[in-house]
Amino acid sequence: MSLAADLLRVFLNGLQTGAIYILVAIGLSIILGTLRFVNFAHGALYLIGAYAGLLITLEVNLSNGLLREWGFETIGLGWGFLPALIIVPLFVFVIGLAMERFVARPFYDRPDTDQILVTFGLAIIAQELFRVLFGGQSINFARPGWASGPVSLPIIGNFPKWRLYVIIITGILVAIVWLLVEYTDFGLIVRAGTRDPEMVELLGIKLTRPYIVMFGIGAALAGVAGVVGAPLENVNPNIGTGVLVPAFLVVVIGGVGSIRGAVVGGVLLGMVFSVLVGAPLPSIDILGTQITWSAWAQVGIYALAAVVLLVRPEGLFGEEVTG
Amino acid sequence: MARDSTSLSRRDVMKTAGAAGVAGIVGLAGCTQGGGGGGGGNGDGEYPSLGNYPIEGDKAMFGFNVPQSGPYSSEGEDELRAYELAVKHLNNGGGWVDDFSDLSGDGVLDYEIDYVKGDTATDADTARESASRMIERDGVVMFSGGSSSATAIAQQGLAQEKNVLFMACLTHSNDTTGKDCVRYSFREMFNAYMTGQALAPVVTTEYGDDLSFYQLYADYSWGQTQQASMKQFFEEAGWSEIDSVATPLGESDYSSYLSEAQSSGADALFLNHYGLDGGNSLKQAVEAGIDQEMEIVMPLYNRPMAQAAGGAIEGIYGTIAWDSQIDNAPSKKFTEVFGEEYNGRVPSGPAQLAYAQTLQYAAAVERAGTFYPPEVIRQLEDYSYSNIGMGEETMRKCDHQAQRDIPVVKGLPGSEQGDGQFFEIVEITPQSEVGYDCGSGPAAECELGEYGDE
Repeated sequence: MSLAADLLRVFLNGLQTGAIYILVAIGLSIILGTLRFVNFAHGALYLIGAYAGLLITLEVNLSNGLLREWGFETIGLGWGFLPALIIVPLFVFVIGLAMERFVARPFYDRPDTDQILVTFGLAIIAQELFRVLFGGQSINFARPGWASGPVSLPIIGNFPKWRLYVIIITGILVAIVWLLVEYTDFGLIVRAGTRDPEMVELLGIKLTRPYIVMFGIGAALAGVAGVVGAPLENVNPNIGTGVLVPAFLVVVIGGVGSIRGAVVGGVLLGMVFSVLVGAPLPSIDILGTQITWSAWAQVGIYALAAVVLLVRPEGLFGEEVTG
Repeated sequence: MARDSTSLSRRDVMKTAGAAGVAGIVGLAGCTQGGGGGGGGNGDGEYPSLGNYPIEGDKAMFGFNVPQSGPYSSEGEDELRAYELAVKHLNNGGGWVDDFSDLSGDGVLDYEIDYVKGDTATDADTARESASRMIERDGVVMFSGGSSSATAIAQQGLAQEKNVLFMACLTHSNDTTGKDCVRYSFREMFNAYMTGQALAPVVTTEYGDDLSFYQLYADYSWGQTQQASMKQFFEEAGWSEIDSVATPLGESDYSSYLSEAQSSGADALFLNHYGLDGGNSLKQAVEAGIDQEMEIVMPLYNRPMAQAAGGAIEGIYGTIAWDSQIDNAPSKKFTEVFGEEYNGRVPSGPAQLAYAQTLQYAAAVERAGTFYPPEVIRQLEDYSYSNIGMGEETMRKCDHQAQRDIPVVKGLPGSEQGDGQFFEIVEITPQSEVGYDCGSGPAAECELGEYGDE
């Protein structure tokens, strides 16, 4: 196969790996940027999105867990994928509003460590709740029929169709959020609030409402990420934690509060992973041990974050925090 | 609750007396006096304390340490069902217990069997901690489990240290009965080396004998020996390996790995992944259309992972521990009793291993007439049996590896799957064509360690 095909394939893989992280990271980043709230429960929103999506899309057979013991051997609506793509974000948006009001708000003026502790605790509670209800087992989230199987692309050949959809859906959602923040009054208030909340309030604008909506939007994006990302793998109670760490890395790389940063950070992270795993790099010998690059893919992601932190501590598109 | 003399049938008395001789009679005498504690009442008086022997109280405790979470949790779930069924049958009769000449269906050596469960989380450290708790706190005389060789190896190391028997369930790494073997562990499951021996002839006959192949493997003990064995036996059969790449255990997204395999130009792709990982990687490979360009081989299959992969397994070759379609009396009986217990559910290979290993231990205790571990070990070593549904077998003394037949299977298309049937059995490779001497293969690296009574 030609080099061009290899490179294109690595690029597409990088994009799709990064796409899910971008969706999760945008919410994380704007909540951190506007509200200065460290939300370790953001992965739990992904988890909720994945299970909710699964239950709306399919009818699931449960093989263990409390629900089964209560007599629900099968659960789920079987409505298909598109309704899930609309209902889940709305549902998780509402959860986000509740979370802002009852969890985040009382902790705004407390130290970061308090915020981390409470949200991390919340994430674990959510995870264990799902484990108790649905069992620890992984449930197969089948792709929608119209998006399963490979698609034949020019030059690179077969590529999984669903992964292309993931890239497209992510692109559309990112564009919507970006337009919202850049070109609406709502976005203007939020951005102004990020810069100088006191001045905005002095102008007579109450920031509480835009903030709670922003929190909801961030949550909804994590929920959508769950719906879109879960068919790539299987659904189990641990997937929320699995996605949180890379999402934080994306925020670190891209810079807090920046949508552009989240996108660039996500793509970079996906690319590093996909290049180390998939690019035709020659393996090297260090002290008699053969180093295979794929095994270092996870290390590569952290190395990228470390390099960015060294060169630009505020992240590629972040603004230096003053005062 | 202490058993009184009225619960002893004549058959029990004769059996125990026959098996344990005078010691057995003395033990029964103790029992008729209403004993039951501190090693009295079970014919065990004459051995020194070792591990969790002698048993305190009137219940013998087993420990079942399986992955209830993590990538191999589906396997663990089915193992647990089988373990619970085995305990039920040991105490009340039924299933294979009725056909095992050594077992009575009235407990083991006059002890009622009880059990504790543990979750290994498919992680070696967690497995060891959980097993340690079972030994120290719950006083188990035997523990069993597996699914992930890393957890099995960690547990069997502990077994040797603590002088408590470990009946390995699902562990397929060569190291389990190779370089990491121990005296206190026995393995019914075959290993990666034997999978290579069984699979290479069938696959090379089907696809030709001069193909190139590419391997992805789970990056821990099992995956590493699996990759090495596939390389060895397929290269001996004339194939050539282009490359092999490690993937982390518990990986959910194999797309980058798979597309590298796809662009390698190899004719065949070996997916040395198991459990959920196997289900994921195979599903994603088919999703990416790799099956249209290369032959995919899934060296080690089982039912839960086939279920997770769905129609993606169509036409793909592999080996399995056991399958309910295997046509013999023990297999049919196990399928029947398992189905009766669990709403018609068809048992998987891991379930059969779990059930068999529990009964094998109990039978060895009955033969030994004592729970004293060194004596139980001696009863298992070089023991020949044909009562667990895989034909004539021997639990070899030199490395504690069962010498047995290996089923080679091919995945069924999605439309033909159902009722717990996911495979077509292509061949049951007889043990004469697989395996190795005590001085070669993985056995050459095995040093079992001490019995504990030397």
